[in-house]
Amino acid sequence: MHSVEISNVKKFYGSTEVLHGLSLDIDDGEFVILVGPSGCGKSTLLRMIAGLETISSGTIKIADRVVNDLQPKERDIAMVFQNYALYPQMTVADNIGFSLQMAKIPREERVRLIADAAAILGLEPLLGRYPRQLSGGQRQRVAMGRAIVRKPKVFLFDEPLSNLDAKLRVQMRAEIKSLQKRLNTTTVYVTHDQIEAMTMADKIVVMHAGSVEQIGAPLELYDRPVNTFVASFIGSPSMNLVNGTLLDAGRPGLKLDDGVILPLAETPKGLSGRNVIFGIRPEHIVVDPEAGVPAEIKTVEPTGSETHASAFIGKQEFSCVFRSRIAIAPGDKLPLSFAQGPGHFFDPATTMRI
Amino acid sequence: MSALAHPFRPAGANKIDPVLVMLWILLIAVAALWIAPFIFIVFTSLKSNAMVMGTGAFAPPSEADWGNYSRAWARGKFSTTVLNSAIITIIKVPLGLAISAMAAYALSRIQMVGRRIAFLAIVFGTMIPFQVMLAPLFTLVNSLGLINTYVGIILPYLAFGVPYQVFILHGFFRDVPKELSEAALIDGASHFTTFRRIFLPISLPVLAALLILDFVATWNEFAMALVILQDNSKWTLPLGLMSFQSQFSNDYGQLNSAIVMTVLPATIVYLIFQRYFISGLTSGAVKE
Ligand SMILES: Nc1ncnc2c1ncn2[C@@H]1O[C@H](COP(=O)(O)OP(=O)(O)O)[C@@H](O)[C@H]1O
Ligand SMILES: [Mg+2]
Repeated sequence: MHSVEISNVKKFYGSTEVLHGLSLDIDDGEFVILVGPSGCGKSTLLRMIAGLETISSGTIKIADRVVNDLQPKERDIAMVFQNYALYPQMTVADNIGFSLQMAKIPREERVRLIADAAAILGLEPLLGRYPRQLSGGQRQRVAMGRAIVRKPKVFLFDEPLSNLDAKLRVQMRAEIKSLQKRLNTTTVYVTHDQIEAMTMADKIVVMHAGSVEQIGAPLELYDRPVNTFVASFIGSPSMNLVNGTLLDAGRPGLKLDDGVILPLAETPKGLSGRNVIFGIRPEHIVVDPEAGVPAEIKTVEPTGSETHASAFIGKQEFSCVFRSRIAIAPGDKLPLSFAQGPGHFFDPATTMRI
Repeated sequence: MSALAHPFRPAGANKIDPVLVMLWILLIAVAALWIAPFIFIVFTSLKSNAMVMGTGAFAPPSEADWGNYSRAWARGKFSTTVLNSAIITIIKVPLGLAISAMAAYALSRIQMVGRRIAFLAIVFGTMIPFQVMLAPLFTLVNSLGLINTYVGIILPYLAFGVPYQVFILHGFFRDVPKELSEAALIDGASHFTTFRRIFLPISLPVLAALLILDFVATWNEFAMALVILQDNSKWTLPLGLMSFQSQFSNDYGQLNSAIVMTVLPATIVYLIFQRYFISGLTSGAVKE
């Protein structure tokens, strides 16, 4: 059963169309992440699911019920905002219990539910505090407590981690994910951070300029991006994308615009001589003294476990991630092979995968 | 604290800042200017008539003549005027503030047609000085048969007080993050609940400030009361003060006792509520 069904949804602000007919099905208990650059319409879509924005055309169903004309409170959803939106003059307990109070749930029951939610999130010692007495991470937790206490059909998150520092963000990522699995509540989560999307989602929806570019499991997007946008958006450092001409299949390779030839493992069949955009992930470029193409190192960034570098082959720059510490310095010459990992090929005219 | 430990020195500096010294001198001068009439009034209110003529204006009374107060109370019909002022102010101030706060909430948070026009009309309302409206106001209130009634004075007070408060509160509510209302909406709160449970509590400092200003203004209002409350059984405190000046022989002791009794309630209200709005303004933790 689909928990959320979005069919051909559009959004206009005045005469500007910011969402161009989006469709998306979300299964029960699924953790879906909407990811895309800032301004692509992620929040707008999420807010339309929540009922905070009107739906210009198309339908949204939650639990098989069209919710287009329902009030937010009738949709059985809960939302966590980027700035948490905690009620400043209420204690943590009152913040968490506010929706229960609105639903006229009796006091004893309320106290019990608040205690349950607080226990799940480790908020018990903070129940009597006010939001201004909490750290960023604690506020974030209270915002989640407010969402889980009502046991809604769907959780909606709008960039809930972007106000936290890097370390806490990584910790909360894991925590939200395990919480979601434990409660098994359908979740739609918005972020502009592709690492967040990759690490947390069951299913990622990559959005760009008001349209869906690709929907799929994290590794599916990583391994088979449907177009150059997804290819360069997912993964860090980004996939290398270069223009070139395919050589014939007997001698698989790519001729770059400046004449340099990169030998490849394989190329799409029957397309020799065609102009393509070739993509290769930084970690799939390896040092190969036998068959490598000579490259000149420009920058080196050791991270401890890996070495990030950028290298020039002719006039073309490639970013590389070497899986070990290697002793290289800017200006060094290094033979690089492109033939030992999967390559991606895109049509230059449509940017679609070939 | 450290500023007091090292007077006139900015934190960390070891030289006296001449600008700071100037500011302090200015501050003290201004404070003295404000407090002088007050001292004069209090001292005079405790002097007998002979003493008023015989001593300097700022000389303290050699012996306090509290009798001025009881005589002024009787002569100014304070038992009537205090009651009238209290009734009018206690109804008008909270009612006006409640109307203003609800209007400001609606104008800043509820989508509706004509919202901009309504807001412009209210802004326009803040620009009209009521003095120029006194004559038409009298005609209007008279045609409604409300001269010499509480309602007849409270309605115009509301009409001239509300726009200004709406304007201030609208500015405040507009800056409340919209996610706060949205969270309340998702939690199932109606507009009225959102207003009462979320907007009112966070605007307490502003409301306290408006309450003080409005209380003092209403308590001391003279011109409109003079036009509308003509029967002296309906007089308010400021109108009652007239009976001390319209006599042939001015009794300054009694007049000043009457003034002290008139402004005292406003001062008390100020002292009660000022701590709310000052603490609110300085803590900076109003909106988060
Ligand atoms: N209230 C609004 N009025 C007009 N345009 C808006 C409004 N809200 C958002 N937009 C526009 O819609 C687009 C999508 O916005 P948004 O959903 O907030 O993007 P994202 O969350 O992906 O960063 C943006 O181009 C933004 O400028
Ligand atoms: Mg957004």
